[in-house]
Amino acid sequence: MLSIVRITLKGIFRDRIFQGIMALSLFFVFIPSVASLSMRQVTELSTTLSLSLISFIMLLLAVFLGATSIWKDIERRYTFSVLSLPVSRSTYLVGRFLGIAIFMLIAALFLGSAAIVSIKIASLTYPPARPLLWFAIITSIVFDALKYIIVVAVSMTLATVSTSFFLPVFGAISIFMAGTVTQQVFDYLHTPSAQAAVSAAIRKAALVLYYLLPNLGGFDLKVHAIYAIPLNTQGLLLTGVYFLAYTGIVMSVGALLFARREMK
Amino acid sequence: MSAVSRPVVALLVSLTIYGVVLGSFSDYMKLKPIEEKLGYLPSTSFLRYASADHKELVGASLVMKVIMYFGGIAEKQQANVIVQPPDYRGMSGILHGAVKLDPYNMDAYYFAQSFLTWEVKQYKIANDLLDYGMKYRSWDWMLPFFAGFNSSYFMRDYPAAATYYKRAGELSGSDLSKLLAGRYMQEAGQTELAIAYLTTMEKGERNQSVRRNYQLRLSAFKEVRKIEMARDRFKEAKGYLPTTVEQLSQGGFLSTVPLDPYGGQFYLEADGKVATTSKFAFAGAKKAAKQNAGETR
Repeated sequence: MLSIVRITLKGIFRDRIFQGIMALSLFFVFIPSVASLSMRQVTELSTTLSLSLISFIMLLLAVFLGATSIWKDIERRYTFSVLSLPVSRSTYLVGRFLGIAIFMLIAALFLGSAAIVSIKIASLTYPPARPLLWFAIITSIVFDALKYIIVVAVSMTLATVSTSFFLPVFGAISIFMAGTVTQQVFDYLHTPSAQAAVSAAIRKAALVLYYLLPNLGGFDLKVHAIYAIPLNTQGLLLTGVYFLAYTGIVMSVGALLFARREMK
Repeated sequence: MSAVSRPVVALLVSLTIYGVVLGSFSDYMKLKPIEEKLGYLPSTSFLRYASADHKELVGASLVMKVIMYFGGIAEKQQANVIVQPPDYRGMSGILHGAVKLDPYNMDAYYFAQSFLTWEVKQYKIANDLLDYGMKYRSWDWMLPFFAGFNSSYFMRDYPAAATYYKRAGELSGSDLSKLLAGRYMQEAGQTELAIAYLTTMEKGERNQSVRRNYQLRLSAFKEVRKIEMARDRFKEAKGYLPTTVEQLSQGGFLSTVPLDPYGGQFYLEADGKVATTSKFAFAGAKKAAKQNAGETR
């Protein structure tokens, strides 16, 4: 499996899509000057812009790497040569996934460092009203990476059953969008006004979706990072365990589906 | 035509058309009514769902949009170019939407406070917004400081103002709020209260348009204070209230004739209160001038 992980990482670094997406990180240079337009919260705005840029780049990386990795292998018939080796299909899939997941963490480290530099510059020029909480900023970036690793798992699982890259790309984007709002929908459905307005059947369907779709809202710690609001350690631990369990479930389903897939 | 020269010709033709149209297009965009540029805001509920994990970014960009829009109009007003007054209702709507997306965004509260009170006179809306912000920015002394000023200066609700100032004093640890709480809780101290508030705001302001706005208002209030002090000296000396500002300058109580930076003229109301025809706004001065022209005709 280690060799698959290594090959995956090497492949990503050589990929042109990756290079193009990472070129977006040049925008970090402009963040301090754009943030200086704020009236009262220059550092906070520069943190907002940095974290949003990281999130946007990581979403692109997660969707394209997750969706195209398996699909490209099948399309170029690399899978045949790999699977003729004494490697099971699940090992191959998990190896690919781990390679991309490690890459996402490396990307988070690189982008996070750029973000920290641009936030530091903004904070030195216009000191914030409240001291920066670096721990919250770093944790927010790490949890962002975990969130996009879930998106990678989802898009790879979709790729195991799809014959084109449309389903994994658009499916992963849709699940990402839905995953960021499931908690809001869940909270809304428990308000008295929703209890009266929404029928019981729709409420049940929404509840099923709530448990089925990834709850990505828990991984969004931007507000803590931007406004130096202390983090809840227990909540972070729970989110970490949720990440392991959900990724495990999705990848197991992916491995089962991939094992049954016919290769022509 | 060879295969290579065809795209080159196409490129040259496109570049020529681009060059021809660019100037007119820029002129058209420059002349486009400024109101159009504030644009339309989709419902906040929609934005909350559509902005995925970028709520803070969308909130900040909405605030920026309003600041840029206002800055454009303010610059023209200060350069004496006649423009429609800003769409304050639209600005307020967008800022309310922004804090629904990011309830911690200080720029939104700060900017809403700057125009919802003096310009629009929607004190209740301003304080409701500040109360909402205080629930989230529980460490910030500025929000109760603003709310305290609105309560005492505009709404004359002194018990509420005292509560806000107390909170602001506790959070900031500075004496300013406590000072405001004690010293100006009376009708007579209103102008001084406004001067103290505006001085604080003007000092901390980095945005040039907003800062200039504060400076203008501050200089207007300093002029008002001068007239008030002259009026009080007049009353002390003569035993009755003056009826016009001219009476004060002719009697030697005012060394110079006070100038309203908004272009209006100061006058005394029947109870001695100092007022101006501009109502402390450029639009007010123009309206008053128009009315005067109508009366003389």
